[in-house]
Order: sequence, then C-alpha cells, then structure tokens
Amino acid sequence: MCRLGLMWSNAILSIIPASLLASAAVEGRVELPKSHGAPVQAKRYEIVTKGGVLSTQPPLAVVYLDGNFPRPVSAPVKQVAQKDLTFIPALLPIQVGTRVEFPNLDDTYHNIFSYSPAKRFDLGRYRAEERPIPSEVFDKPGLVTLRCDIHEHMRGLILVLNTPYFLITDTEGRFRLSGLPEGHYTLRAWIDSRTTREKPVDLKNGQTLHVDFP
Amino acid sequence: MKLHAFSLCVFACTACAFDIDDALDRLDSALTVSAFQDNLRARLSGTVDLEFYNFQQPAPGLIDSEIENLFNPRFTLFLDAQLGSQIYFFAQTNLDRGFDPSDHGAQVRLDEYAFRITPWKDGRFTLQIGKFATVVGNWVPRHLPWDNPFINAPLVYENVTAIQDKYAPYSPLDFIYGPYYYGKYTFNPVIWGPSYASGFSISGKLGRFDYAVEMKNASLSSRPESWYVTENGFENPTFSGRVGFRPNEAWNLGFSASEGSYFRREAERTLPPGRDIDDYREFVLGQDASFAWHHLQVWAEFYEARFQVPNVGDADTFAYYVEAKYKFTPQFFGALRWNQQLFATINDGYGHNDHWSPDLGRIDIAATYRFATHAQLKLQYSFQHETTAPGDDNHLLAAQFTLRF
Repeated sequence: MCRLGLMWSNAILSIIPASLLASAAVEGRVELPKSHGAPVQAKRYEIVTKGGVLSTQPPLAVVYLDGNFPRPVSAPVKQVAQKDLTFIPALLPIQVGTRVEFPNLDDTYHNIFSYSPAKRFDLGRYRAEERPIPSEVFDKPGLVTLRCDIHEHMRGLILVLNTPYFLITDTEGRFRLSGLPEGHYTLRAWIDSRTTREKPVDLKNGQTLHVDFP
Repeated sequence: MKLHAFSLCVFACTACAFDIDDALDRLDSALTVSAFQDNLRARLSGTVDLEFYNFQQPAPGLIDSEIENLFNPRFTLFLDAQLGSQIYFFAQTNLDRGFDPSDHGAQVRLDEYAFRITPWKDGRFTLQIGKFATVVGNWVPRHLPWDNPFINAPLVYENVTAIQDKYAPYSPLDFIYGPYYYGKYTFNPVIWGPSYASGFSISGKLGRFDYAVEMKNASLSSRPESWYVTENGFENPTFSGRVGFRPNEAWNLGFSASEGSYFRREAERTLPPGRDIDDYREFVLGQDASFAWHHLQVWAEFYEARFQVPNVGDADTFAYYVEAKYKFTPQFFGALRWNQQLFATINDGYGHNDHWSPDLGRIDIAATYRFATHAQLKLQYSFQHETTAPGDDNHLLAAQFTLRF
C-alpha cells in the first residue's frame, strides 16, 4: 500500500514541471545604461511617408541562471511582431530550441533577417496575412540581431539561452527570479552585446537571495 | 585550388565582417543625436564604395573615361533629421571622381538636400523643397549602391542619345551623326540618373493610391550641372508627376509624365532666329510595375519620350527594362536585367529615313554577397548590342565593394 502510494506520488511529481517544485528565488537590481534616443528613419526616396516619431525603446537587462539545463521536450513558441515599423518586443530572451514567430502587423511588407553567427536566416518579404506565420527555431545559444531589409532603422534582439530560468528586468532594472532549483550556480545579467555581469549564487529551497549588479 | 582559396578568402572576410559589423552598429548609435526629449533627432550615415570597371571603348553608358580599366572610389555622407512628427530634412554629399564614373580628379558635391513637411499623420499631403531625386518611375528608391542590385543604372537612365542640351543641331544630318564626331558628354540620355534637380514636390497617399507632382528647374534629361539653382534658375521649369496604385503589398503600379524644356541657356545663340529654348521641350510618359514575394523582386519600367529638336522636328524614342532579383541565401543574391531602347526614324534631309540614334539592347547580370549588414561585394557583367548601327558590341565587367555605416 505504502509502495503504491510512493509510485503515485512519483508519477504526480514527474508530470509537474521542475520549476514548480523548486522554491529558491533571487531578487535585486541591475544598473542599466542611460536611455538612448529613438532611431531616425531614412525616408529620402519614399514618395509617401507617414509622419510619426519612432518610439524610444528603454534599455532593459536579461537576468538568467546559467547552467546546463535540459532542453524543453516540445519546442515553446514565442512571438516578435512588427508593428509601426518596430519590433515588439525589442528584446526577447528564449531558451535554446524555442520557435519564434514573426507576425507582420503593419500594412506594408517586412523582410526580417539576421546575419548573427547564432542564427542566420532571411524570411523574405511577407505581408500581414501570411500563413503560416513565418518562424524560425533557435537552436544555438547566443545573441541574434534582427533587422528588416526594407526598413533600415528596425532593430530587435533575441538572446538565446541554455537555461529555462530567465527574465527581463523592469525599466528600473529590478528583477525577481523565482522557482529556481537548489544548488550552486552563476547568475548573469546581460545588459548589451558587450556587457554581461555575473555573480556566483548558492540557492536553497525556501530562501530568497538578494543580488545587485552595480 | 583557386576556388578553395576564394572560399577561404570569403570565409575570412565574413568572420572579420562580424567584428566590423558590431563596431559599425556602435558607430551608428554614436552618430545619432537627439534633443528636446527626442523631438529633434539627427543621424549621420554613409557609404564607402570602391568600384572597378573594365570595358571597351567607347565607354558604355555615362562612363566618361578614355582608359579601359577604371577605378572609381566614392565616399557618400547622408544626414537625416526629424523634428517632431511633421518635419524631415535630408542631405547627401559625395566625394568622388564625378557624378558618373570618370577618370577625372576628385570633386566634392552636395547632390541632395531637401526639407519636407507632412502636416497630417496619414500622409495625405507632403510638401518637399530642395534638390532631390525625381518622382518619376520606380528606379529612384533603389538607385544607391547598397539598394541597387546592379552597379550601373537601367539603360534609359544612362544611354547617351543624339540629344544635346548645349547646342542646337544645324541640320538633321548634324543631329544624327553628331555623336560620332563630338565628345560623349555633349549629349544626353532620356533621364539622367536619378535627376537630382532643384524645386519642390507635393505628394500624398489616398487609400491604395498615391500621387506625387514636382516642379524642377531642369528637365529629366538635363546634366548634373544643370540641377543646381545657382547654375540654372526656374525660368523654364519642368513639371513631372506620378500616380501609383498598390492593389496589395506585393504589387505596385505607376504612371508617370514629365514635360519641360531641355536646352541649357548657352544653347540659345544656336537656335533658329526668333526661337527660344522654351520652344523645344522634352515629353516623357512612363509606366512602371513592381512585384515582390518572399525572396523574389521584379521591377519593370517603360518610357515613351519625345524631344522637339530645332531644324529637325520631333525625335521619338521608346525604352524599357525588366529586372529581377532573387535571394538564394540570406547573404547571397543574384539579379538579371534586360534593357532595350528603340529610336524612331527621321528624314535626314536627303530623302533617307534614319534612326536618330542606334537601337540597342543590353543584358546585365549581377551577383552580390553581403559579408555582414554593413559590407557587400557586387560583381556585374553587361553585354550591349547595337542593332541599327555599325557600332561594336560592348562588354562591361564591373566590381563594387560597399561599406555602409
């Protein structure tokens, strides 16, 4: 009877994601760089151009727990849309193996491409009604810079990570990463293509660690 | 072995290009400034082009060189500035060996500058004043080296005809055979490149239609020197316009028209007595179409032009091209273009009808490899064949390396 109960509890545990079982957390703040201005759209040879100021995208950081965690069994799907000639979101952290869809929400063509070593692709020109939504699977860790072949000012970033434990800070740099597994790890804060800060952390179940990245 | 070495070279350049790419992205951020809570923003950008041409004499198109191997470097600087959502300013300046490839010395030019007001956000009305590319046709938006799948322009934008804007021919024979005796730069094409003449334009978008009209100080065929207000005033303006229809994102159809006098002021003394340069005009009708789907882009333009020529009458010509570009991989694309220009016949004054310039066709084939988002190498081969004149066929080989920042 006792053995049967143990089997049941093991079976239940195996279908609950590990993140729900883990209970350690890290919170803190990342010192973000100064906000940079919105891009300037070159529209010299467009006979017709809509007016409008492109939105400023405030600097954000990605905080993640580094380690070799298993890849997801089924590929998660995320989206980076093109709306009002910008990428939304402008920064997307994902786990290796994630499929990212690139829906076009504008009434004009977009042509998303990347020459980054972590993922080289070119989706060609496609409109809003394009089905299936053009997508790519990101199977190599690294930083992928997204651009549009038609709208030179458009920039987006996908940070492909080996870990399922990550988040984007708020615009003040604050973060709280919860549901982490117990153990000794390195916590990293990706700030831009040249700046990643790191700190070793000892995570214990039921504890919340405070870590700042000055 | 040579192929192996070439592959290694491309690989090394690509690896190096990614480092340069990151540096140029940072330079881009450094060259963008903003003030007044982002309401005033300005960006400096540019290209460095290194071009090499090998051709037979006489040099094809608007290339002005007596040597057959020509190196033509060019440094271009752009300024784009936005004030709020309604005011936009841009300028283009060049340091090179001439507006068209030539064996002359270095020169600096301010090729474009314009001030644009867009009062309504839906783009129904835009006013632009300055010195800027024509609204006619669909080639202008891709005429700069980074966007043009070829190194040269379509035939109609660079094929020098028997039309000359500095002297009036004194007879039909002089008109027809003039190009065999005088230097090429005496003569004009139907449209001289992107035609950066001075003036103003009004454009807008109404649903699936868009429109643009412009008043410029020089005709479409006029030479670059005529585009400056300081050189050529608005006494004899040229009016041009284009109406576009976009049934969906893939298709863009357009109709253009242009009309204006094409002689420069110094030609006045060579005109028949009692006639003025305003009496001789260039009329152009154009139809353009473009299509894009995934990795394929296709463009076509058709032009019918008439020049009123002193002592000759009307000289008509028809020119067209069809151009396709296909991206084989994210970094490699190829392009193919077929161009043709046909000329009507005129009476030579001795009872014979002759074409007023030789009919000709040209095929252009080009391949481009983008090492990264800021550097590309383009190779082109062109074969030109004159069908109604004893002129020799012409082979052109060209290479162009572009670094964009």
